[in-house]
Amino acid sequence: MTPSTAYPPPTDFDRIFHPKRLVIVGVSKEGLGFGAGIFASLRLIGFEEEIFLVNPKGGELNGETIYRSVADIPGIIDFAIIAVAARAVPEVLDACREKGAAGAEIFSSGFKELATEEGIALEQALVKVAAKGIRVIGPNCFGIYCPKSGLTVLPGPDLSRESGPVAFSSQSGGMVVDFTNAGKSMGLKFSKVVSFGNGCDLRETELLDYFRDDPDTGMVAMYIEGVHDGDAFFKALKRTAAEKPVIVNKGGLSVAGSRAVQSHTASMGGSREIWQSILRQAKAIQVGDMAEMAQTCLAFSLLPRRAYHNITVLGGGGALGVAAADMAETYGVQIPAFAKALADRIDEHLPRPGSSPGNPVDVANPFVPPKTLKEIMRLAATDERIDLQIFTSLIHHYKNMAMMMGKTVKEVTPYLELADDIKEVAAETGKPIIVILSNPKNGLDHLDVVDMFADARQAFIERGIPVFSDLRDALRAIGHVNKYYERKSS
Amino acid sequence: MNKEQARQIIQAAKQEGRKTLSEYEAKQVLAAYDIPVTREILVDERPALADALGKIGYPLVMKGCAAEIAHKTEKNLVRVDVRSEAEAGTAFDEIKAGMNGSGGGVLVQEMISGRRELVMGLTRDPQFGACVMFGLGGIFTEVLKDISFRKAPFDRQDALEMMNDIKGRKILDAVRGMPAADTDALAAMLINIGRLSLDIDDIAEIDLNPVILSGAKPVAVDALIVLK
Repeated sequence: MTPSTAYPPPTDFDRIFHPKRLVIVGVSKEGLGFGAGIFASLRLIGFEEEIFLVNPKGGELNGETIYRSVADIPGIIDFAIIAVAARAVPEVLDACREKGAAGAEIFSSGFKELATEEGIALEQALVKVAAKGIRVIGPNCFGIYCPKSGLTVLPGPDLSRESGPVAFSSQSGGMVVDFTNAGKSMGLKFSKVVSFGNGCDLRETELLDYFRDDPDTGMVAMYIEGVHDGDAFFKALKRTAAEKPVIVNKGGLSVAGSRAVQSHTASMGGSREIWQSILRQAKAIQVGDMAEMAQTCLAFSLLPRRAYHNITVLGGGGALGVAAADMAETYGVQIPAFAKALADRIDEHLPRPGSSPGNPVDVANPFVPPKTLKEIMRLAATDERIDLQIFTSLIHHYKNMAMMMGKTVKEVTPYLELADDIKEVAAETGKPIIVILSNPKNGLDHLDVVDMFADARQAFIERGIPVFSDLRDALRAIGHVNKYYERKSS
Repeated sequence: MNKEQARQIIQAAKQEGRKTLSEYEAKQVLAAYDIPVTREILVDERPALADALGKIGYPLVMKGCAAEIAHKTEKNLVRVDVRSEAEAGTAFDEIKAGMNGSGGGVLVQEMISGRRELVMGLTRDPQFGACVMFGLGGIFTEVLKDISFRKAPFDRQDALEMMNDIKGRKILDAVRGMPAADTDALAAMLINIGRLSLDIDDIAEIDLNPVILSGAKPVAVDALIVLK
C-alpha cells in the first residue's frame, strides 16, 4: 500500500470506452435476454476485442465458453456489462472490481426507480461498491455507445461505426436509442454516447468534464431530467460551454413549484424559469425537443465555426417568399434582397414564367437542370454580404416526369449531379450550402419516391452537405450556431 | 457595504421569532448592501411626525409598517402624494387606526416619481441555490411574468445579460422622453442582492417591487425580506 495514492483513483475512461477485455455477466443460452442480446449486438456491430461471458450455469454460447463466475475469467478485465437480477448485482459488481474492471454498465432494473425499500437499499449497495474503486453506469440503463471501439447500447447492432464530434449523455435509455438512430439517418456522427439510467455513480456532471477534455468530442448534447448537485453541475456546464457547444434538452419542466412561498420572486421562480436562466448563464444552448437537438448538432457538426447572418434561400416550394423572411428574422438571420444588377444576371438563368430573381430566388420550375442551379448559386454567392446559402429542393416532382417517361423515379432524378454541384459551389465560394429535402409524397403508392429520397439524402450527407427536412428547422439551427459563436467572440 | 448592520437587523428579527422583516427593516438591510432605497423615517408616535415630514419633504408617501403586515395597499394602509402637514396628520391617524394595534409605526417616505417600474428579488432554488430575479415590475410582474434569473454569485456581464433576457428590455432604453436607465446601477443592485443572499443564509426570499426608475436612477420603493 502506498499511502500517497490518490483516493478514489482517477477514472480510467479509456478502459471504459475502449475496453480490450470485456465481460458480459448474465448471458442466457436460451432466448435473447439483455445479456445475450448485447453479446449479439457487439458481435454484429463489429466489436473486435475479447468478450468473456458469465452465467452460473456455465456451458457455451455460439461456441464461446460461458464462465461460471467473474472470478473464473483468466487475467484482468477492463469493463463489465451486467444484466443479472437486481439482487445479484452488488456482488457481481464487486467481483468485477476485484478483477480490475475500471467500470461497469448495469442494464438490470429493480433499484431506486421502484421507490421500494429493497430497491433503494440495493442501489445504495451499488454506490458502496463503486466507492471502492469501480465506476458504475446505471443501473436501469442501456449503456454506452462508442463507434470507435464498437461498444454499443442495447439494442444497437445497427448503429454506425463512424466516429464523429457529438457526445451525448442521457438518463433515458430510450432517448439514446432514438437519438443515435435518428442521428445515423441524418448524418450525425458520435464520439461517445452514455445512457446512465438511475445514475447512481457516473452521470452528467462528471461526463461533462470528461467530454470537455476528450479530443474526440466537439460538442456535448445532453438530455437532462434532473441533476444531483446543482452547484457542481452548473460549474461543469459553464467550464465546458466555454470550450465546446453544449446543447441541452431539459425534460420534465413543470410550471412553478408548489413550495409554500411568500414573495413574488419565489412564486415565479419555478423550475422552468430557473433552468432556462441557469442554462443561459452557463452559455449552454437550450432546445425544446430531441428533433431540435439533432438539427442543432447537425448544424454545429457540418458548418464551419462562425456565425451566419445573411443568407440566400433558393429553390422552390411554399416556404419561399415572405414566409421565409419572417421565419429567418425569428431566428436572427437576414435574407437580404440582391442588388438589381445581380438580380438581373440571375434572372437570365431562370425559366419563365413564375420565377423571381430577388432573394429568396424562386426558380418556380422543379425541373431546372442542376447546371443552371449551380450557376445561380455561384452568382448568388458573389453578393459579399452572403454567408450561407439554403437550397430548397423540389425533387419529389420528378415522380411525375418518371411516370410520363415510363422510367423509374431514381433514373430521372438528377440528385447525384445536384449533390456534386452543390459540393463544388460550396467549396469554391467558401459559403456553405444547406439543402432542404422535404418529401410530401410518402404514402404506399410513393415508396419509390421515399426510396429515392433516402438515396438523395445519403448522397448529400456523404458530400458533407447538411440536409434538413424543413426550412424552419434549418433556420432555427443556424440561429443556435450564431448565438454560440457571437457569445464566444463577445 | 455594512454586512454587520444587515446581520444585526436579521438577528433581532429572528430573536423575536419573526419570519419577515418590516419594510423599514428590509430597506435598512438592502441599504447596508449599497442597494438604493427610498429615504424614509419610521414614526411611532404622532409628536415625532412633524420632524419627519420636514426631513423627507413633500410630496411624500405614508405607509403602515410592521412585520406582520403584508398587502399594505389592500388593507388601505398606504397614502401617496401627501402634500401638507394637515393631510399627513389625518393620514397618520387613519393608518394607525387601520393597523388595529398590531404594533409598528408609520413610514414617512419620499415619493419617487417615474413611470417605469421594475422588479428584483431573490429565491433559493432547491437545486441551484440563491437565484436573483429581474423583470418588469408593478402590476406587470404577475401578469406578464417577463422575468429572468441568475444564480449567485455573478458578475456585471451576467447582470447585463440578465436584463437583456426579458422581452420588455427596451423599457430600459431612452423612451418617450425618459432617459436610458442607468444599467450599471441596476447591475450593481442585482449583484448585491446576490452577495447579500450568499452572506446571510437566514434570508429565504427577497422582493424589491417596485424598483422605480427615477429618471435614469433605480430606487427600491417597496421591499420584502422573508427569513428561513
